[in-house]
Amino acid sequence: MRGLLTRLCCIGVVSLSLFSCDRPAPDSSSSFRVALITPGSIADAAWNSGAYAGLLRIRDSLGASVSHVEALTPAAQEEALRSYAAQGFDIIFANGFEFQEPAERVARTYPDAVFVVNSGSRAAGKVIPLVFRIEEATYLAGMVAGGLSRSGIIGFVGGVELPPVRRGERGWTNGARAVNPAIASRVTYLNNWEDAASGREAALALLRLGADMLHHNADAAALGAFQAVKETEGAYIFGANADQSSLAPDRVVGSAVIDLAHAFLLVAREVRGGTLRSEAKSFGLAGDVLRFVPNPRLAGVVPAALSARVRAAADSIASGRLDPLRGEEPGP
Amino acid sequence: MNARPGRGRVVAPLLIVAASLAGLAGVLAIAGYDPVLALGALWRGSLGSFDAFASGTLVRATPLILIALGFALALRGGMLNIGAEGQFLAGAMAAAWLGVHLAGWPSLLAIPATWVVAFAAGLIWVVVPVVLRVRYGVLEVISTLLLNFVAEALVSFMVQGPLQERSGIYPQSDPIADAARLPLLPGTRLHLGIVLAILLAAALWFYFSRTLGGFRLLAVGTGPRAAAITGRIDVTRTAALALLVSGGIAGLAGAAEVGGVAYALYPNLSPGYGFTAIAVALLARLHPGAIIVTGVLFGALETGAGAMQRDAGIPAVIVYVVEAVIILALLLADARRTARSPAVAGAA
Repeated sequence: MRGLLTRLCCIGVVSLSLFSCDRPAPDSSSSFRVALITPGSIADAAWNSGAYAGLLRIRDSLGASVSHVEALTPAAQEEALRSYAAQGFDIIFANGFEFQEPAERVARTYPDAVFVVNSGSRAAGKVIPLVFRIEEATYLAGMVAGGLSRSGIIGFVGGVELPPVRRGERGWTNGARAVNPAIASRVTYLNNWEDAASGREAALALLRLGADMLHHNADAAALGAFQAVKETEGAYIFGANADQSSLAPDRVVGSAVIDLAHAFLLVAREVRGGTLRSEAKSFGLAGDVLRFVPNPRLAGVVPAALSARVRAAADSIASGRLDPLRGEEPGP
Repeated sequence: MNARPGRGRVVAPLLIVAASLAGLAGVLAIAGYDPVLALGALWRGSLGSFDAFASGTLVRATPLILIALGFALALRGGMLNIGAEGQFLAGAMAAAWLGVHLAGWPSLLAIPATWVVAFAAGLIWVVVPVVLRVRYGVLEVISTLLLNFVAEALVSFMVQGPLQERSGIYPQSDPIADAARLPLLPGTRLHLGIVLAILLAAALWFYFSRTLGGFRLLAVGTGPRAAAITGRIDVTRTAALALLVSGGIAGLAGAAEVGGVAYALYPNLSPGYGFTAIAVALLARLHPGAIIVTGVLFGALETGAGAMQRDAGIPAVIVYVVEAVIILALLLADARRTARSPAVAGAA
């Protein structure tokens, strides 16, 4: 066992040293160790897969040795936090608000590790929450939707009614109204993140109500909404959290993207540089962590004037002149 | 139904586990992972150190043992309780609801109080199946199973409604008062629930093998007609009581999970304990002592699965496949063993 490990490490070190002499082997010998705990599968094409991409980016950019575990229940989640902390990991990313209290408990026993709680509620010592101002990107998506909608009705499918999801929906609605004040916005919550069948039903119901532009924040359940849009003539959808153009290349106008990987890397750099402070870390358009990413295949659908307005609004939001939650018109 | 404890009953499953682990090593090697690294992580993460054993394996084993004990009690009386998942959640809801209101109480009162309400909640959750069974002959297999979905929906309503935490933002309850939290073994996550599980196992062993009531229960479970003909046993009452208490025990497991692990009500509290516990109980041949062993075995498997992901980089999906393969191998080998001794097969 020990012999085999050593041999594996040697092979790893030798092969990596071909690229650079100080880059450590990824699995055991790096002094900078980063872990990720996800409350669900990393195959969800959104929230958890984005976090996993972040972990890999930290490995590739900073040469950290990384580890990931899926922990679905409170028992498993605290066990994972504890195990990583006990093994001396430098940063433990926990991908969900439900990790806040377990992380604070474990941090009392293991004061050296930094716990980064994605969407956490408060900073407490080395427990640092990440907050994403998703509404800044959904505002831009909403502007495009408001400009393109023929029926004057837009629809939103939410997973669970959490604060970031609600904020995203408000940004979407405000953005649409900034372009067309008469827009009617319909909202449905599914009460889960996984049930693609209910996502499809909710989307079809919105489409029957006359909505022709849909947006979502429902992770894997939203895959059903993409299906519904593909089946409906003249309907379009906007992706969330990740660039989802590939899910329906002819029907996704663009996506409100959270670049989790970029945010993770920024945090990891601060931890390694020793500059991380005990405060919530908030990300928006300004730091390039949030973006509205248009689908290049549908670039012809969006009028140039509308695109220009969206770009102007993005600048106003990034510079703080426009609050997407209040939705004031940025001016012509 | 053979209640005699025998060394073969404990050793044979362990041999099966060893065999399935060997098979598993082969599968991992074929899938391109290092089996030595993976199985080493499985071992170290579950039984390889005192901390892993106490803070991981035993914590995961506690709800499994409790629920399996309840399941065994009901099945001895001929009732198949597939609804422990729902009864567990009912107990968890009750314990969380009471637990948040117990600030300032002495622990000596607060903890038993949460256990009592959780037991009652689990018991109440099977009242409907019992009535349906006794009055209308509706199979409890179906009614208890269906109530699982009701319990899940109720939890998700509770954490967004009446029991939602104070700020009204997150789908979880407020943390329970310190007084209602179970004491931990210092330096570990192991909580008092394991003691409850062991005491309950001892009590059930005594009841099954040393009391008249336990004998009556066995008679009802193995031959309800014969039991009724004796004229000394109220078959319906005995079976109904067994199912009710079995629900109460599952409720207790919910209280132990809230009071000892989660400290609040979360919608994802159980990864399917109610179903895994059925395998735990069946593999132990419903013997309370053996249930502790098989419960620890399954707890080790779940904890070790996490370690395989963390330390050996095996993807979660492969770990789940591995878990399922081991459970299936165990049950299959067990079924073969049972088939060779017809007397036991007829009783189970």
